[in-house]
Amino acid sequence: MSTAVGRLVRAELRLIMRDPLVLTFVFAFPIVTMLIIGGAFGTAPDPAFDGVNPAHWYVASYLTVVIAAMGLVMLPVHLASYRERGVLRRFAAAGFPRWSFAIAELIIGLMTTAVACGLLLVVAVPVYGIPAVHDWWRVAAALPLGAVAFVSIGVLLGSLLPSARSAQAVGLLIFFPSFLLGAGGPPPDVMGSAVRTVAGPLPLTLLTNAVREPWLGLGPATGSLAAVAALAVVATAVAARRTAL
Amino acid sequence: MSEHSVVTVRGLRKTYGTRTVVDGLDLDVRAGEIVGLVGANGAGKTTTVECIQGLRKPDAGVLSVLGYDPVTQAERLRPLVGSQLQDSALPDRLRVAEALDLFATSRARDGGALVERFGLAERRRSVFSSLSGGERQRLFLVLALLNSPQLVILDELTQGLDPAARRNVWAAVRQLHEAGTTVLLVTHELDEAEALCDRVVVMNAGRVLDAGTPAELVDRHARWATVSFSLPDPPAPMLDELRQLNGVRDVERVGARVTVHGDRRIIAYVGAALVLWGPVPDDLSVHVPNLDDALLSLLGHEPAVEAPVPVRGELIGGRR
Repeated sequence: MSTAVGRLVRAELRLIMRDPLVLTFVFAFPIVTMLIIGGAFGTAPDPAFDGVNPAHWYVASYLTVVIAAMGLVMLPVHLASYRERGVLRRFAAAGFPRWSFAIAELIIGLMTTAVACGLLLVVAVPVYGIPAVHDWWRVAAALPLGAVAFVSIGVLLGSLLPSARSAQAVGLLIFFPSFLLGAGGPPPDVMGSAVRTVAGPLPLTLLTNAVREPWLGLGPATGSLAAVAALAVVATAVAARRTAL
Repeated sequence: MSEHSVVTVRGLRKTYGTRTVVDGLDLDVRAGEIVGLVGANGAGKTTTVECIQGLRKPDAGVLSVLGYDPVTQAERLRPLVGSQLQDSALPDRLRVAEALDLFATSRARDGGALVERFGLAERRRSVFSSLSGGERQRLFLVLALLNSPQLVILDELTQGLDPAARRNVWAAVRQLHEAGTTVLLVTHELDEAEALCDRVVVMNAGRVLDAGTPAELVDRHARWATVSFSLPDPPAPMLDELRQLNGVRDVERVGARVTVHGDRRIIAYVGAALVLWGPVPDDLSVHVPNLDDALLSLLGHEPAVEAPVPVRGELIGGRR
């Protein structure tokens, strides 16, 4: 690949594989927490988990944790660090086309997310098994749309926040409540109504619903899927504009 | 734009908030020239070259660089310009060889030869964060030259380099010049400007104070030479005789030390007088005016203005 985007993707892929934040937060954290939480509630169908096996309920939820870790923590820190240190300025001065960096980050974000999701499923197979997917096309639509939405949110945060440290602080502040309320924490049925109200419209909750419900046969989650699709379109448009070199 | 003009700037103005950093600047760089942009910190040099590269949008003015407007045609212009920017880095974990791959376009010359020439061959597998300040500067220079640019912009080129590395970089710039490449050099190292530049543009407070060849600037603003030597108990007639020599402006004596000020001719006349009078003093010293003196003289008339730190974020993402 000798195009500007190709050269950026190749270099960024190498750098990501050398970045301890990516390796721990995007690859290790979702797997470790899935193993812990997935084993905490047993494997017997449970009414609190819409009558399904709690371990399967979490396996179907944790792909979105990978997506959120990438979008809310890894990418903002990565981009803010580049802006802070003048790396983006160097790319711009070197004649990289205006949209090349935004496109490269989208590709890198999606590739890394896909690999991390695959790894999570590989680890889940021997431990909890992977639940059967009831509605393939909805799950297959929600995952890439969600990944695009969160990668774009990450790129946007990285372009707004002034330094890598502030990006890390803000990213973690958004990630952990989203994670606990919308994907990896307790099921909505055991939450109080106020907490459920707060959790409902969070982007990660919507994405998790759009993946988990059709996967486990709990419902089509059309509203959540539509919201994720809209978020993907808007976040990508804004992020691309903000990240133009 | 004249026939051979590579950079033409007319009435460039750039402000950050309420502070005017570049104020009605005119600049011409002709093909094949090395032009030095010199001045104190905060004179507006870096902002000027960032506008020339299309990295900042001017508030006013007309710019033409290699026939392109850097504001509206930056994407066509930037691949033709090689630049070594002040205060910018590469990703910490990127290796030297990988940086060459990343920045090499279809116009790229042999990166291996450049790396060899700038003494980085042993560091090809080293990550950027492990390079010394001088090695980083040399790598930036390699990247600036990698894609056979028509215009090279070098901002504080030899900052952090040891004397030997500095001479090596100067030699490389001279080779560029011989190959016909146009160079715009931003520096506050005046010996560098004097050694390398065909023309020097002196800036202060966002404006051009004067421009010309280094010799012209020295001639206009620092004409006075100084000859000094020790002469225990010099007779008064001798000092009077020195005062009568051609070109002498002033003779002062502090203890045994005699200092003669005047135009450059005094170097010859005072030297000849000393030879006639007897043994030439061992500690004879001569100060020939240089660009440093010219700049000090120029800036003496214009107070330096500290510019604010530019908002780096404005370079990326819709805030230009």
